[in-house]
Amino acid sequence: MAILDIHQVSLSFGGLKALQNVNLKIEKGTTHALIGPNGAGKSTLLNVLTGMLKPDDGSVMFDGKPLLNVNSYDINQLGIAKVFQTPAIFPEMTVLQNVTIPVFAARDGSFNLNMFEGRSKQRPLIEFAEQQICELGLQNHMHSLAGSLSRGDKRRLEMAICLANKPRLLLLDEPTAGMARHETEKTIELLKSMQDGITKVIVEHDMNVVFSLAEKISVLAQGQIIAEGSPDEIKGHPKVIEAYLGEAQV
Amino acid sequence: MTTQNNFWQHNRTVLIFALIALTMPFWFPLMGGYSGLDTKIMIFCIFVVGFDILLGFTGYLSFGHAAFFGISAYVTGIMLKSFSDNIIPAILVAVLAATLVAVIIGLLTLKRTGIYFSILTLAFAEMFDSMAMSMLQKWTGGENGLTGMPTPMLFNLKMQGDTVFYFVTFMAILLFYLAKRIERSPVGLMMKAIKCNQTRLEFTGINARKYKLLAFVISAVYAAIAGALMVVYEPFVGHEFLGWHQSGEIVIMSVIGGVGTLVGPMLGAGFMLYFENVLSVNLGEQWLLVLGAIFMAVVIFMPGGFMEGIARLKKRYFTTVDGE
Repeated sequence: MAILDIHQVSLSFGGLKALQNVNLKIEKGTTHALIGPNGAGKSTLLNVLTGMLKPDDGSVMFDGKPLLNVNSYDINQLGIAKVFQTPAIFPEMTVLQNVTIPVFAARDGSFNLNMFEGRSKQRPLIEFAEQQICELGLQNHMHSLAGSLSRGDKRRLEMAICLANKPRLLLLDEPTAGMARHETEKTIELLKSMQDGITKVIVEHDMNVVFSLAEKISVLAQGQIIAEGSPDEIKGHPKVIEAYLGEAQV
Repeated sequence: MTTQNNFWQHNRTVLIFALIALTMPFWFPLMGGYSGLDTKIMIFCIFVVGFDILLGFTGYLSFGHAAFFGISAYVTGIMLKSFSDNIIPAILVAVLAATLVAVIIGLLTLKRTGIYFSILTLAFAEMFDSMAMSMLQKWTGGENGLTGMPTPMLFNLKMQGDTVFYFVTFMAILLFYLAKRIERSPVGLMMKAIKCNQTRLEFTGINARKYKLLAFVISAVYAAIAGALMVVYEPFVGHEFLGWHQSGEIVIMSVIGGVGTLVGPMLGAGFMLYFENVLSVNLGEQWLLVLGAIFMAVVIFMPGGFMEGIARLKKRYFTTVDGE
């Protein structure tokens, strides 16, 4: 069953057609990679899914609910989280505070007037946040300022933030961009280890990452989906070699 | 045991503040503070604590908070003059009026961030200032200010001298305590997250705009309470209450004291008013020059304000014992 159904989505910036009649179905529980050359529309598509951009045409359904014209925070409340290309965290807060935010967001919704409720009195919620942090291996940084973490740890913290309000769909925009090889490998391990039913859509340039994680790959070029299939099918697809791998070898 | 520890930990600053504030009539005159200045300092403590919920937590710098202070002061004055000399209905109506204005201004100005937000708030405050001086002159007294209020009463109690001081101080302690409660609540966490990374906050399922508006309105309520108490303290309202000068003074107090710490801005308020009213006697008109130099020195060398200075001293003299 498709958890995400993108139907005939088109979007232009002035004369540039960033997305043209994109159709994409993401199956529940799978890891789906979106690849394609620079400017193919991958990030644009992710921005449409998170409410940052409104397409000119088409529809997006998440678990039977329309996503277009819905605010970013409501989209997140529906169960879609996004990992940014540069880790988006709350740098001036401690690691624990960073993860406490989504925990309260999951309990209270997008807005709650509980101005006089003591956070520290909510032991089970704080413990849940601590557990999330430990699961991502940041237990030694619980009370460190998030901004002082290494890049790899910032990425882990961002994942902890994203996972703490139990999303059903996780969007990852080049999660290993700018990472050293060993950090990339750690990230792959991390993503593999959280296979517990979360659907993942990953935009990535590193083919090593794509082929070790994805069960299905869609290839975007010039705003259109030109191929779709299993990693093996994509590797040998002539159109893909022409549009993507071919270009990469020039 | 732990609950007791928590109580002390959470309320330590409030208790220390209460102790310092309530004993002020005894030690403040020894420093040359004239009678009544302590009350004024307490009123401004309320103003800046509220202002810190907006500036310190969310990072939005308003240059128009005098509007809420002034509107509330005018409404309090008019209520005392023409409705009843009891301050309770006067303060309630005044704060309610200022809050309504704050909701409208907040909805309009919070669409923008940074300098645009600051300028928009300034423009709104100036609008109210010129309204008080022109079309509303009949009620506000225009240039002459609003005068002729009866002695304000708290039911049967005449609000004069020490009674005003203790009433204002009680309000200041209560409002500081509530601000601390907000800081420790989930709402406080969301407000501080706005300052850190608004995009991440929205992608974490939080409606940042509503929390911003809430911070804006809460800070306006504090400003309005301060404005109303100003009239109880001294039965006069001048249009300078609404002016940009007033808004700027609050910003300077916050920055000198330490934005985002709640305590710092109160230190800043105490310092500024003491400086303005006591030390300036020796310096004459030059005191603004000295104040400007102090402000620059703080911003350049101690961007965290007095609170940063205190933290540095603590670190230097108290952590060496631990072998740091």
